[in-house]
Amino acid sequence: MVPFLFYAACAVASVGLLLLLKPRSGVTRSGAALAGLAGLAWMLALAAETFDAARGDLLPLGGFVLCALISVASAVRVITHPRPVFCALYFILVVVSGAAMYVLLSAEFVAFALVIVYAGAILITYLFVLMLAQQSPDENHGAEAVGYDRIAREPASAVFAGFVIVAVLGAAIFSPRSTTKSEATQTASIREAWSDLGAMPGLLLARAKGIDPLVASVQGPDGRPIMVILPDHSARIAVTHTDGSPTLVTLPPSALPDNPSRVGMALVTRFPVSLELAGVILLMAMLGAVVLARRQTELADEQRRVHAGRGRASEPTPGGAP
Amino acid sequence: MTGSLPAAFTPASPPEISIAMLVSAVLFGLGLVGFLSRRNMIIMFLCTELMFQGAALAMVAAARDLMDTSGQVFVIFILTVAAAEAALALGLVVLLYRCRETLSADAWSDLGEGPRGVHDPEPPDQPEQG
Repeated sequence: MVPFLFYAACAVASVGLLLLLKPRSGVTRSGAALAGLAGLAWMLALAAETFDAARGDLLPLGGFVLCALISVASAVRVITHPRPVFCALYFILVVVSGAAMYVLLSAEFVAFALVIVYAGAILITYLFVLMLAQQSPDENHGAEAVGYDRIAREPASAVFAGFVIVAVLGAAIFSPRSTTKSEATQTASIREAWSDLGAMPGLLLARAKGIDPLVASVQGPDGRPIMVILPDHSARIAVTHTDGSPTLVTLPPSALPDNPSRVGMALVTRFPVSLELAGVILLMAMLGAVVLARRQTELADEQRRVHAGRGRASEPTPGGAP
Repeated sequence: MTGSLPAAFTPASPPEISIAMLVSAVLFGLGLVGFLSRRNMIIMFLCTELMFQGAALAMVAAARDLMDTSGQVFVIFILTVAAAEAALALGLVVLLYRCRETLSADAWSDLGEGPRGVHDPEPPDQPEQG
């Protein structure tokens, strides 16, 4: 039953988007925006209702839903606004509201990396190129946007393609999932986080000192910390006091490593080759951008000789350059 | 004692995950629509960034659902690829703009070299010295 409702919601939102892509008047524009918002809100309601487990605590979802609405609405403005600079600015809004959603999904490091890299670097590059390549307003158009920015190309088929994509993805999202995994997933995740902390001796020592100021070392006999994870998700580690006596310290779950530590740990321990490859990709992109941006000029033979430091064309060239 | 678990280790509320997944699908679809319907080359590349955003949101939501950091690490790689793509794509756009003085993608629909292609010589406007 739910898939058909979802397809109907998608269709309503698609019609709204289609009308927004070729607006006839202000009335059409506002009506289309209303239709699109209604379709989107319907989709969100369906998504929240599919899982009836959390019927009571929809209130904490308020901020999340707000960010989702802002994100989608400004994404619509990105693809419908006739001024390219405003498109880029609306995309910054998409990025920032996306980062807010990341924070609510407890992915803090990625959220701030997104704001810094996307909104701070990539979008500024886009704005830079947009302003570099902006056509100067001539007397015909004045301050109007140029024609290829005002008139969409094949909006009907584009919206249909988008409808198909969202419908297929939505059907996949709404397909029933197994809900038995949560307990085992939580245990495995906490175990992995504790072992991550065990691989960071400095942080572990600091956490142990927070519990017991007399702790001098957290290393076991083989140089690695000895750690036992208790059923209540706390961890008990063997430590050495400053006077050399061994003892035990129990770390509460609040001593688990935070998100940046875990992401960094996963980055260098589980994906080291990908990290190196990312560096190579960035280097290649930099070289490629330099090669692309270089202005290619064909020099005459004489100029080429001069630039090569071989003197004037009238002099005989010993190397016999062509 | 379990109550003091950090939020990342408590099970996610299912509506949150499904809304995030839905928003990511919608962002991807909007990026696709924009890429197909806009005619400004820079905006077309901006729409691919929109699709990147959708994919990244799905990654983070899945990472939250599975309480695993691999999805977040993948978002970092998405950021890398997006940065590389932006540098190369904008370089290409600037190059194309220099040739035709327009950002319209329709100006390049014939895939041929235009009246002044990339490799054509510059007009000899520099006066010979000496």
